[in-house]
Amino acid sequence: MRTTKLEKKPVEVVNNSDLMLISKQSYAAIDKWIAKYHPENRQAAVIPALHIVQEENGGHLTIALMDELALYLNMPTIAVYEVASFYSMFEHKPIGKHKVSICTNISCMLRGSEEIVEHLKKKFAINLGETTTDGKFTVKEVECLGACVGAPMCLIGREYHEYLTPEKIDAILEKLE
Amino acid sequence: MKIITDYFKSLVLIELLKGLMLTGKYLFKKNVTVQYPEEKTPISPRFRGLHALRRYPNGEERCIACKLCEAVCPALAITIESEQREDGSRRTKRYDIDLTKCIFCGYCEESCPVDSIVETHIFEYHGEERSDLYMTKDKLLAVGDRYEKDIAANRAADAKFR
Amino acid sequence: MVSIEIDGKKIQARDGALVIEAADDAGVYIPRFCYHKKLSIAANCRMCLIEVEKAAKPLPACATPVTDGMVIFTKSPKAIDAQKGVMEFLLINHPLDCPICDQGGECELQDIAMGYGSDVSKFTEKKRVVKDKNLGPLIATDMTRCIHCTRCVRFGAEVAGVRELGATGRGEHTEIGTYITSNVSSEMSGNVIDLCPVGALTSKPFRFSARAWELVERDTIAPHDCIGSNLKVHVCNGREVVRVVPRENEAINETWISDRDRFSYEALYSDDRLKTPMLKENGAWREVDWETALQAVIVGINKTITDSGADRVGALAAPTSTLEELYLMQKLMRQMGVNNIDHRLRQLDFSDQQQAPVFPWLGQPINNLENNNAVLLIGSNVRKDQPIAAHRLRKAGVRGSKIMTLNAVDYDFYMPIMAKIITSPMDYKHQLAGIAKALLAQTKQPAPNGFEKLVSKVKITASHQAIASALVEGSVSSVLLGPQAINHPEASTLRMLAQLITLLSQSQLGYLSEAGNSVGAWMAGMLPHRVAGGKDADKTGLNALEMLHKGLRAYVLLGVEPEIESAESVIASRALNDADFVVSLTSFSSEAMRQYADVMLPIAPFAETSATFINAEGQWQSVAGVVPPLGETRPAWKVLRVLGNLFGCSGFDYITSDDVLTEVKQLTKDCQTDNTVVWCCPAPITTNSNADILVRIAEVQMYAGDSLQRRAQALQNTHDADFAAIRINKACAKKFGLKDGVKATAAQNGTEITLPVVVDDNVSDNSVLIHCGLRDSAALSTDFTPISIRPV
Repeated sequence: MRTTKLEKKPVEVVNNSDLMLISKQSYAAIDKWIAKYHPENRQAAVIPALHIVQEENGGHLTIALMDELALYLNMPTIAVYEVASFYSMFEHKPIGKHKVSICTNISCMLRGSEEIVEHLKKKFAINLGETTTDGKFTVKEVECLGACVGAPMCLIGREYHEYLTPEKIDAILEKLE
Repeated sequence: MKIITDYFKSLVLIELLKGLMLTGKYLFKKNVTVQYPEEKTPISPRFRGLHALRRYPNGEERCIACKLCEAVCPALAITIESEQREDGSRRTKRYDIDLTKCIFCGYCEESCPVDSIVETHIFEYHGEERSDLYMTKDKLLAVGDRYEKDIAANRAADAKFR
Repeated sequence: MVSIEIDGKKIQARDGALVIEAADDAGVYIPRFCYHKKLSIAANCRMCLIEVEKAAKPLPACATPVTDGMVIFTKSPKAIDAQKGVMEFLLINHPLDCPICDQGGECELQDIAMGYGSDVSKFTEKKRVVKDKNLGPLIATDMTRCIHCTRCVRFGAEVAGVRELGATGRGEHTEIGTYITSNVSSEMSGNVIDLCPVGALTSKPFRFSARAWELVERDTIAPHDCIGSNLKVHVCNGREVVRVVPRENEAINETWISDRDRFSYEALYSDDRLKTPMLKENGAWREVDWETALQAVIVGINKTITDSGADRVGALAAPTSTLEELYLMQKLMRQMGVNNIDHRLRQLDFSDQQQAPVFPWLGQPINNLENNNAVLLIGSNVRKDQPIAAHRLRKAGVRGSKIMTLNAVDYDFYMPIMAKIITSPMDYKHQLAGIAKALLAQTKQPAPNGFEKLVSKVKITASHQAIASALVEGSVSSVLLGPQAINHPEASTLRMLAQLITLLSQSQLGYLSEAGNSVGAWMAGMLPHRVAGGKDADKTGLNALEMLHKGLRAYVLLGVEPEIESAESVIASRALNDADFVVSLTSFSSEAMRQYADVMLPIAPFAETSATFINAEGQWQSVAGVVPPLGETRPAWKVLRVLGNLFGCSGFDYITSDDVLTEVKQLTKDCQTDNTVVWCCPAPITTNSNADILVRIAEVQMYAGDSLQRRAQALQNTHDADFAAIRINKACAKKFGLKDGVKATAAQNGTEITLPVVVDDNVSDNSVLIHCGLRDSAALSTDFTPISIRPV
């Protein structure tokens, strides 16, 4: 019911009682980003805001969270969905504890990312974009992360791991809780 | 002089003998006529006879009501009305071919993207009334159901030339 | 102006124009998908790549401004090569389902593929498949066909004012849709059907019913709202209207039309359609021929006139009727001595009709609405009532003009609103008086006679000040009265105050009248006190409300269903049922009509009759009928002409409807176009003491305005065609113990109806929004008779 109401009404004045899913701390963090832009361009803070909200929600976004953010940033809800669905760093389903994002773009592909992908698929017995049954790992294919120099590479959490080989990635994953 | 020659020619029945000679020649030649309707001449797989609407093997009618045959028909013999069937697919609610208008050019068959409307090799049909020659969707589908095997065989035979 | 050369043709182009605009003006065709002259530039389809001399790569014509001396090649090998390349990419994922696609035959992609496409695709991989979206009852989707031109997305953001569609996902996974399951609710949403260059968005009611090449396109005019949008009607087999699309008219509707105008054609083939004349004999209906039916009318009316006198007969006409019909109706009636003639069924206050302008109109051309710097809307839900006018106002609002409203419901206008006063309809006059008082103080002009006394108790608020100064500051400003103000129980006071405001602030007074030919009805003399051309009638008859209140002996109805279209539906119903003789010239019959009528004559609705409509800006628009009338139906002007002959009236020898039109034109050629009314001081305004009284906000439901809309199935299934409900704000709901979604009983004057409650905080205090025009809510009057609500 709440969602449909928001869908119909881009609200001019934000009513505090409508904002309840995102914590005060997160709003404070979002406000810091908003402050960097001209007041008319509140929506410019949407990407960092989505990151903050996603982190708070345990790694993924929900429609209700995005709606609330849209209300706060004074932008149409669909515009938030567009941004959140465009970038691969935003998740729309619950994911595992560790997100392993493997680059499969051209440089990494030439340097053997396919081998890494196959290895992980076999190791966890899952497909790309899926989560292991114990909920520990989610393996994802992503576009270029700008570390072609160390291809093949992957991103786990906030860390880049370069010059991967099946053995190396096994060792890295071993160390993760 | 000519009168005399003609007189002798008629006297010895030379013309009659000439004629009989031709008859005699064909008497021993291989027969070219067939005993229709007991016997029939061979028909090309491309023969354009009575129309039929085909179905897919699962029983679903092929026609999707694209109306290309109706548009291409030079004799304006085809009338189609389309609608959305309950399952959401595009179907005809009316598909009529007026055989009294049809010139059997085969354009309908050519234009059909799903091989639904075809011209079978049936040419022995008749109507006792004009309305009998007005083929409705049900009639056309019935023709298709009845001769599906032949139609499919003909299409297959001609496939490599298409 | 700069001089450029396109394909060897030297032309002059406007400075800053885009290459594609210059090329279009010069008649050079450049293929395009995402470019649309009324939308912003996206340059994402890349189909319009062209070669420009000295440019290293092909440039998109839609995003490249012309510069002086530019040399452009649109058909050079390089340009063609680029275009072919783009085409190949576009076709990679486009399904080859043209035979079942409704766009087939009128598809931009199909056309351009014929010119630039290759016959064989190099792409052997699987094509992508996109799940269809449900966008509601008007728009059918086949999203696999989408080529992501984003015209529909931009339309939502820029024209409709609400971004409901978006492009989610990335790359090959991009999808156009609402992301979450939701219907598109814009009142102009149908335009995305025209905008979509492929078959991804098509018309749902039209779905699979005909192919483009079977259709004949004919021109007509929309009869519903006062804009008079230009339409093209698509006719199948020369007899059936299957689709309606906009006809471009920059001065009126640009390239858009409202959903109302686009989908109302469905009513033409509704089950309610009356196809033969019907006669009631001993309580049973019988189909008869025209002669019998007309004879019955003659006998019935003549009998009433002889028995009770001509002043016991009344004529009511719908303001959606054509000018010819309205003119002939009043001419016929007046010749028979009947002066009870009216078209203002929803109006409640007729006290100032003698002073009223010759025809209350918009006061300015429709396209001028967007040039206003300040606009005050009074009692108007312009977005739903006149979507095209709202679009013009929105353009002004987005540009920074000050749009202000005085309404009983806080409507969402999807445009920046500078100031709004949301208050009970009873309070309108106080607010207007406050604005007028503020204006007097600001402009230091002398108050008109009696005004001081009138407003002595009214307090000026900050909103009044803000609105007053915006109107004064705006070099072009307007005060527009919407249908809720025109049909207000105190309409004359509102009109007087609105006019005072316009005089003081030097702005324009305008009327956003309710129907397609409201202005035409005034012109044609479909009024009790005026004949065609605005001249006073010899004898003033009863107005619509009086006719129904007094209970006449006979009624002649033209295209109206007073039992739901009247301000006092219950009284209308009773009056019609009590009358001796009721003849209804109508396109549709209903259960109620079969109850009260004695003769029903089937008349041709819009599209089946030649017609003239005069829109809000006073533009006369004449069109021919586009399809032959259904069954035994006849155009109403012919029926009225024959009735004129049969009644023995003079001057009914018209051969064509043009003859009628010429006569009306002759009579109205000197009409004054002035909206000003003579100042006549209204009764003193006391402060609103009746805070406990609950009054009804009588807004006509968006798709219940006229008999056509009510029978258009797809429109009735939309979000805007809400079921009748009791809409009330949270505070009031709490006061009366009402809960959202639970049924409650509304009582007024002893009549009761039970409807579900919708708690809507946009509704003002002390008022309740129960839409009118609906059978479910017809039992309630639209005036200020207090309503009490209690839970069931």
